[in-house]
Amino acid sequence: MAIHITHLLKRYSKNVVLDHLDLSIKQGSIFGLLGPNGAGKTTLVSILNFLIPKEAGKITILGHDWDKNPKEIKSLCSLVPQSYAFYPTLSAYENLEFFGALHGLKDKDLTRQIHYALEMTALEKYRHKRAESFSGGLKRRLNIAIGLLNNPKILYLDEPTVGIDPQSRHYILNVIKKINQSEGTTIIYTSHYMDEIEYLCDDIAILDHGKIMFHQSKEELMKNDHIATLHLSDDSKKEINLHENYDTLVETFCEIKEKSLHVKELELPKNSLEDLFLSLTKKELRD
Amino acid sequence: MLYHTLKKEFLLILRNQHALIVLFVMPTLFIIIMSLALQNTYANKYDVKLNIGVQSESNASAFGAFMDKLNQNQFFSFRLIENETVIEEALSNKTYDFILSMTPNFMENIVKNEEASIKIISRSDVAYQQVAFLKQFLSLKMAEMVIENFSTVLNLKSATQASFEEKITHTYVLKDNHPTQITSVQHSVPSWLIFSMFFILIPISNTFINEKNFGTIDKLRSMNIPLSGVIIGKFIPYFVMNQLQVFCMLLVGMYILPLLGGDALVIQGSLFLLMLISAVVSIAAISFALSIATISNSSEMATILGGTSNIMLSALGGIMVPKIVMPKLMQEISELSPMSWALDSFLEVIVNAGTFGDIKYALAKLLAFALCFFSLAYLTLKYRRD
Repeated sequence: MAIHITHLLKRYSKNVVLDHLDLSIKQGSIFGLLGPNGAGKTTLVSILNFLIPKEAGKITILGHDWDKNPKEIKSLCSLVPQSYAFYPTLSAYENLEFFGALHGLKDKDLTRQIHYALEMTALEKYRHKRAESFSGGLKRRLNIAIGLLNNPKILYLDEPTVGIDPQSRHYILNVIKKINQSEGTTIIYTSHYMDEIEYLCDDIAILDHGKIMFHQSKEELMKNDHIATLHLSDDSKKEINLHENYDTLVETFCEIKEKSLHVKELELPKNSLEDLFLSLTKKELRD
Repeated sequence: MLYHTLKKEFLLILRNQHALIVLFVMPTLFIIIMSLALQNTYANKYDVKLNIGVQSESNASAFGAFMDKLNQNQFFSFRLIENETVIEEALSNKTYDFILSMTPNFMENIVKNEEASIKIISRSDVAYQQVAFLKQFLSLKMAEMVIENFSTVLNLKSATQASFEEKITHTYVLKDNHPTQITSVQHSVPSWLIFSMFFILIPISNTFINEKNFGTIDKLRSMNIPLSGVIIGKFIPYFVMNQLQVFCMLLVGMYILPLLGGDALVIQGSLFLLMLISAVVSIAAISFALSIATISNSSEMATILGGTSNIMLSALGGIMVPKIVMPKLMQEISELSPMSWALDSFLEVIVNAGTFGDIKYALAKLLAFALCFFSLAYLTLKYRRD
């Protein structure tokens, strides 16, 4: 496991933000964390990155105890915050040089890692331009490039596609896939965009009110996208496979009729992650 | 790591034009303007005399001699004016700073010790010190006239004011009793230098707040960098910038001001002590700036909070108004300002050639001030989550 969390508790005064949360994330996976505003996503990522303390619970990251080995964990992970974590008046290269040096990289190692990060994010031709002159997409790519400097085993990406055009978004999603595939990096990806999570992630969790409401692999999630549920008059349920042929479906309905039952309600499959998300987190607005 | 941290911080400062203007252009202009404006404060030269109109009905020839006597000075220019002159008009159009109205036969009566008086009328914007000085000057001249008259009657050789003045000399001396010359530059340079050193808070708070707003500080905290490393990485470049300010402002005082007609800055004391003071003042200024930067949520808040406190500390600390012109209570309050401790130390070395013993308490107070605010900055950065 890349990350194993048990009974994680975090409160801000009386407000419980993470409520004895349990979560395991597989090594080498792209893990998508969904949740409405205030669900506790940022708090969870902040605790995992040592930005805020936890109140109770146990966290193990890449086999290291969160409480005992913060140094080891920090050297193996990298955070790409939602906001731009760089200096706008410095060039892309100067920013990478500074953050690379903070990772303890020197001379040739530093130059090699800078080139790797620039290449992965296709920023080579902008390397000497000041970050303040970049478009939103380029800024997001620089943010990611900085996150790649220490070759992390776990890369946290907090809503990395906010406020950019579809082309840049598409490019960034592919960069993330490339990082995962070529380096085996575990990606922890938080976003509000369900389509991104569906496209990118192979493991998906929905967090709300400080608890994991849903956690499944994409494979399992998609497996049920053709199963409808019939709610019958005797309060029993019957599942039907919408991919079955016409005769089989007719047979099922005849069977129901023979038992003198009728269908009270037809529940169609939750055919998108968004439906699932809304059904779990309800539709009311969150502040 | 330290090299790249320093490189990054220097690049940020050098690419921040507003900060460079605040750190270098503002104090240069203040030093030049204030040194030239206060040039005569400590010097024995008076370019501008106060104009005094005299109304009198005395005998013209006797009064003419008195007027000649009055005009033998560096401070006042006396002119007889018509009795019909409208006093308010002469004062309000600034032809005269004072009008003296003398009783009839003033000269004769004063010698005879009979009723004679002078009424001084001035505009409302004339400082009372000038009125007091004029009163003293006139009473001296009147006494002189009486003595001269007695001398003539008794056939004695009379003493004149000039001969009395010759008997009184004044010399500014250093601690070691060496005579010296004081100039306004020696006050202006340290004053505005201290003021600008404390304004280091503008670039510091801008960088800090940008780091907070941009999420850079979160990125840094998620890495294996101790908090002390983050703070020291900021401290050193700004310390160097402060020292560069000191160097540049001393050069302005020594070489630029004389080119503009001002006095050249002369440092009477040890250069080593000057460097020591500038280092301690810098530590205090940066610590204060760090605390303002860490508790502020926006650049606007930092500019208002920091700018206002800097101006208050400088007004209290004798930077804007010299402490010697403050009343006693204000002078006592002024002792609470770190800028006052800094100014006293600089002046002690630059003007009085003071020793370490003369400045050690002021430096200790500055270091205590620095420790308090550095701790505040450290703890705020460690425990505050926005």
